[in-house]
Amino acid sequence: MPAAYPIPSDLSPATVTNTASLIRIVALGLISGAAIASRLFAVINFESIIHEFDPWFNYRATRVLAAKGFYEFWNWFDPTAWYPLGRVVGGTIYPGLMATSGVIYNALHALNLPVDIRNVCVLLAPGFSALTAWATYMFTKEMKDESAGLLAAAFIGIVPGYISRSVAGSYDNEAIAIFLLMFTFYCWIKALKQGSAFFGTVAAIFYFYMVAAWGGYAFITNMIPLHALALILMGRFSSRLYVGYSSWYAIGTLASMQVPFVGFQPVKTSEHMGALGVFGLLQIIAFAQLVRSHLSSKQFQNLLLVAVISSGILGSLAIVGLTYKGWIAPWTGRFYSLWDTGYAKKYIPIIASVSEHQPTAWPSFFMDLQLLMFLFPAGVVLCFMQLRDEHVFVIIYAAVASYFAGVMVRLMLTLTPVVCVSAAVALSTLLDTYIDPTEPPSSEDEQVLEKDAASSEAGSVASTASAAPTTKKGKKAQTNSGADASASSKKASKPQKGVFGLDTRLTVIMNAFGMLSFFVLHCTWVTSNAYSSPSVVLASNNPDGSQHIIDDFREAYYWLRQNTPETAVVMSWWDYGYQIAGMADRPTLVDNNTWNNTHIATVGKAMSSSEEVAYPILRKHDVDYVLVIFGGLLGYSGDDINKFLWMVRIAQGVWPEEIQEPDYFTPQGEYRVDDQASKAMRNSLMYKMSYYRFAELFGGGQATDRVRNQAMPKQGPTLDYLGTNIWLPPIPLTVLTIPADEAFTSENWIVRIYEVKKEDLLGRDLKTANAFGQGKKRKRSKPAVRRRPIV
Amino acid sequence: MVSLRAVLWPLLALAGLASAKSSSGDNVLVILEPALDKSNFSIFFDGLKERGYKLTFRAPKSVTPQVIQDEVATFNHVVIFAPETKAYAQDITPQSLVQLLSLNTNLLIALSPKQTPLTSLALEFSLIPPPPGTPLVSHFPERDTPATIVPVRVPSSNPILSTTKAPVWFSGASHALGNNPRLVPILRAPAESFAADSTDDSGSIAVADAAEKGGEGLWAGSQMGLVTGFQVVGGARATWVGGVSVFSDEFAKKEISKGKKSGNQQFAQDVAAWTFQESLVLRIDRTEHHRVNETEPLEQYTTNDMITFTARISKYDGVKERWESYSGLKDLQLEFTMLDPFIRTALSPVAGKPGIYSATFRAPDRHGVFKFVIDYKRKGFTQLHSSTTVSVVPPRHDGYPRFLSAAWPYYAGAISTSIGFLLFSTLWLAGDVREMLMKKGKGLKRE
Repeated sequence: MPAAYPIPSDLSPATVTNTASLIRIVALGLISGAAIASRLFAVINFESIIHEFDPWFNYRATRVLAAKGFYEFWNWFDPTAWYPLGRVVGGTIYPGLMATSGVIYNALHALNLPVDIRNVCVLLAPGFSALTAWATYMFTKEMKDESAGLLAAAFIGIVPGYISRSVAGSYDNEAIAIFLLMFTFYCWIKALKQGSAFFGTVAAIFYFYMVAAWGGYAFITNMIPLHALALILMGRFSSRLYVGYSSWYAIGTLASMQVPFVGFQPVKTSEHMGALGVFGLLQIIAFAQLVRSHLSSKQFQNLLLVAVISSGILGSLAIVGLTYKGWIAPWTGRFYSLWDTGYAKKYIPIIASVSEHQPTAWPSFFMDLQLLMFLFPAGVVLCFMQLRDEHVFVIIYAAVASYFAGVMVRLMLTLTPVVCVSAAVALSTLLDTYIDPTEPPSSEDEQVLEKDAASSEAGSVASTASAAPTTKKGKKAQTNSGADASASSKKASKPQKGVFGLDTRLTVIMNAFGMLSFFVLHCTWVTSNAYSSPSVVLASNNPDGSQHIIDDFREAYYWLRQNTPETAVVMSWWDYGYQIAGMADRPTLVDNNTWNNTHIATVGKAMSSSEEVAYPILRKHDVDYVLVIFGGLLGYSGDDINKFLWMVRIAQGVWPEEIQEPDYFTPQGEYRVDDQASKAMRNSLMYKMSYYRFAELFGGGQATDRVRNQAMPKQGPTLDYLGTNIWLPPIPLTVLTIPADEAFTSENWIVRIYEVKKEDLLGRDLKTANAFGQGKKRKRSKPAVRRRPIV
Repeated sequence: MVSLRAVLWPLLALAGLASAKSSSGDNVLVILEPALDKSNFSIFFDGLKERGYKLTFRAPKSVTPQVIQDEVATFNHVVIFAPETKAYAQDITPQSLVQLLSLNTNLLIALSPKQTPLTSLALEFSLIPPPPGTPLVSHFPERDTPATIVPVRVPSSNPILSTTKAPVWFSGASHALGNNPRLVPILRAPAESFAADSTDDSGSIAVADAAEKGGEGLWAGSQMGLVTGFQVVGGARATWVGGVSVFSDEFAKKEISKGKKSGNQQFAQDVAAWTFQESLVLRIDRTEHHRVNETEPLEQYTTNDMITFTARISKYDGVKERWESYSGLKDLQLEFTMLDPFIRTALSPVAGKPGIYSATFRAPDRHGVFKFVIDYKRKGFTQLHSSTTVSVVPPRHDGYPRFLSAAWPYYAGAISTSIGFLLFSTLWLAGDVREMLMKKGKGLKRE
């Protein structure tokens, strides 16, 4: 048998195995290191800070957990969130993330390592990404072999699609959930392969951990039953499947019901019915198999027919009946929005208003997955070619996750692991083929071989087997060459398939290596440039190229913290609720846990109504300060005016008579803020708060909103009901003409805070009171007419 | 507001300890216009002095003493008897007078049919003065005085005024009352009176006609006010008097009918007593809340807890010059609110404990941030407002009842499954062994 390049043959198989596993361990260690290191850009470029919005809540909750212990955390009622409704935090969160950090924190302290809880939180996601790499390795190993596993681990370690949710400081549920997802899948595959109740139980335990950690657990809840169902339909029912699935489902479901937020959902909501249904189906099939083994086939067929028909009718009737009676909750709106992308926009604006719920744009697939995007289909095809039970899983996973990733940007995260897995399968198959030194026999050899083809088959297998273990892909090569040999024996006249020579091999391998290098460069670039911004701190470049940090958010939040009473209620749009609670430690009306649409709509209504309408709402909710984000000065496009239409839409959903979206557009249908802005727009609280005294900043020059590129009118809006609560300055009267200021505006005007004025001393409306304070004359009025003249 | 008052009250109480007649202090500034003779008001002023007030006089145009110095009010009460003055010194403006009220200084202001800055200030208090130059005119009852000097019967049920039956002489302008709930009508115009620029009888028809046609409005009848109080947010009081002569010696001595003295002297003192926060001044000393049968307040209550709320209310006694526990409020209410009142219950006085009002109620079955709110607004009385925030939380994880009779089917299911499992395992294991033994036995036999 010719070889493309010489392979040392004097190594004992044990040495080879040991070396290979050592290399694997070192490689996995390096991959973990790379995964952690590339996530530290955020800390290096900025600082060790919690990112974005939701992580701030998780961080705050973790602090409570670390300070007061688990039981207090479980019973934590947060009176400062959703003021005055409050939030039963213990019963409305997935506590897995906080519990994990709490355990790590306590463990480190038990070891006398006094680590700050913040650093535990910041570095949790990078730490778990290393574990994810390992879990992906284990999973892919089940699909193909160790080399594919290492490739997959390397991919998932640095792929931007996963990094986007797991950079240091991105302390969110996804940080640990992807590890749990992959490990649960691994255990499930293992349980299925071995028919092992043990691995089924391990899968159930990690499923429980996943349920405790992330709302996305429903993905597992439906993926595994889907896989089981597909296997049944393919006629691959086996006792391995029965044991694996039953142990996973029974233990996993009971365990998941222990999470307070989940409670009885696994037996009551439609999202979980699939798992239950498949569980029932498996029992029926297992029973049928039992019966078949005891009955003749004729009897059995009759019985089967009757049983299938009657159980089908009974089952569907039961589900319909239960749903109708309200025992099973119908699909939720969030679920519908997965099938109909227009649904949320129409019926649940609050879901549609979140940017990460938008459909994914094509470029972002490339941005997040780059090379893997092209390898992904190839890997799926390779899975089809083998189609063992576990390959069916990858195929289903790929199909489902691709669809979801197309619907919502944030679900790109669930697609990423399967892309890494199947891309690794594809790439490692490619490398296997081209690194394998075995060359197909040349035409002369072939003729020689032809005669004793049948007898040499076993011999060729043996000969390759001796060469194969030297490569890491021994097993694969063995089966491949075995297949080749048998093929050659059958169709000997056809030209032999295979790779000849070293040049082809080198070209392809070098090419693959180049692509991988570019992939690494791309990942590093994307990570450092796009996904490492904490969004609490913004960065811009000075003219000389140095970095300039814009720290308006923290400046404003700390102002609130230092200058307002602890009970001062702050109203802002819900995006900033968690940050205000986390950084300013003040009660908020609404926050990122968007559980109460009406309350959010109330804030939306207050923001989009005129001062006179908004004031009673503010007073009723005991609002002391109103906070708006304004990017017009700096060109920060994520500001409240740009989000304003969502506020209007959400408010319109609840008060369709009072708030109408078209009112906020110009007659030409444009969204303008300049002097052509519509009346409703100009009178809205949001507009007034954003542009209050904005024109003055330009000192008589043309004021320009740099986000919307519109010239602002010289005469800005006036405020009567918001400002600061300074009573009229004393004499002399001339001082009175200066209008009351806003309470606080940050350095770059990104955050503006207004105080809600107290009730007027004399019970007048504040507009009149202000006019009086500024010395304006009041019109005389007449006594109310009590008698109407008879006409 | 509550906090402001909580700070102010003790301070003021200290300041007034010497011989404070009023609950807010005894320094009175009288801004007297030069045209008015001080001696003509000697009965009123002497009455105030007798009751312990220190009077300082000042002309509207003189610069000292300033009413507000360094943002601190110099006096506790300001009486402005300058009904015809059009120009004041720099420190007296409508704005500064309103600011005085915010500093808990009381105002007693006299108006006249003439248009002055004070007339336009009256608008801010929801008083609607008639057009300039139209004094109150009444031709009834028949009397020997001019039609613009009107005897007015004092209402008997007004808690501000002491129970004298003698009518009060009035001369000046009436005003219509706006719909501001903070207005406290003290004296209303007689039903047959009206505002007119002429005292001729023939003119009155013209006035009525003009009013019908919707011109200036009808300034007539008992809906018009003559003396009207105003309860400012924060406790200060302002009283508007349609004519300064109500306080004059001339009207005080003038007889209503033969041998019957007018009520002016008493009326003037009553009005001043109310305005200077002597009478009908209430305060909430403290509020407490706790679970029934406990004494310590909790920061958070559990849903369906029985909660007791107690408030201690005092009333200022102008005669004894001190605060005294007051149990006389019969219609006090307590609200337990989260956006809307979930519970509204009577906060009734506790027998045997003066000044203590208490209510016990069951917390609603709804978690959230609730407030105990007392909001007592009655005409003439100081407005009481108190708001205490507490959380109502769901039961703790171990606070729920443990064994429910309704759950017995589930308990039975769990227990029977466990027993079944045990039985099955035992049988299975035992049975297996026997089978093995039998098999072995068979094998042995065969061999």
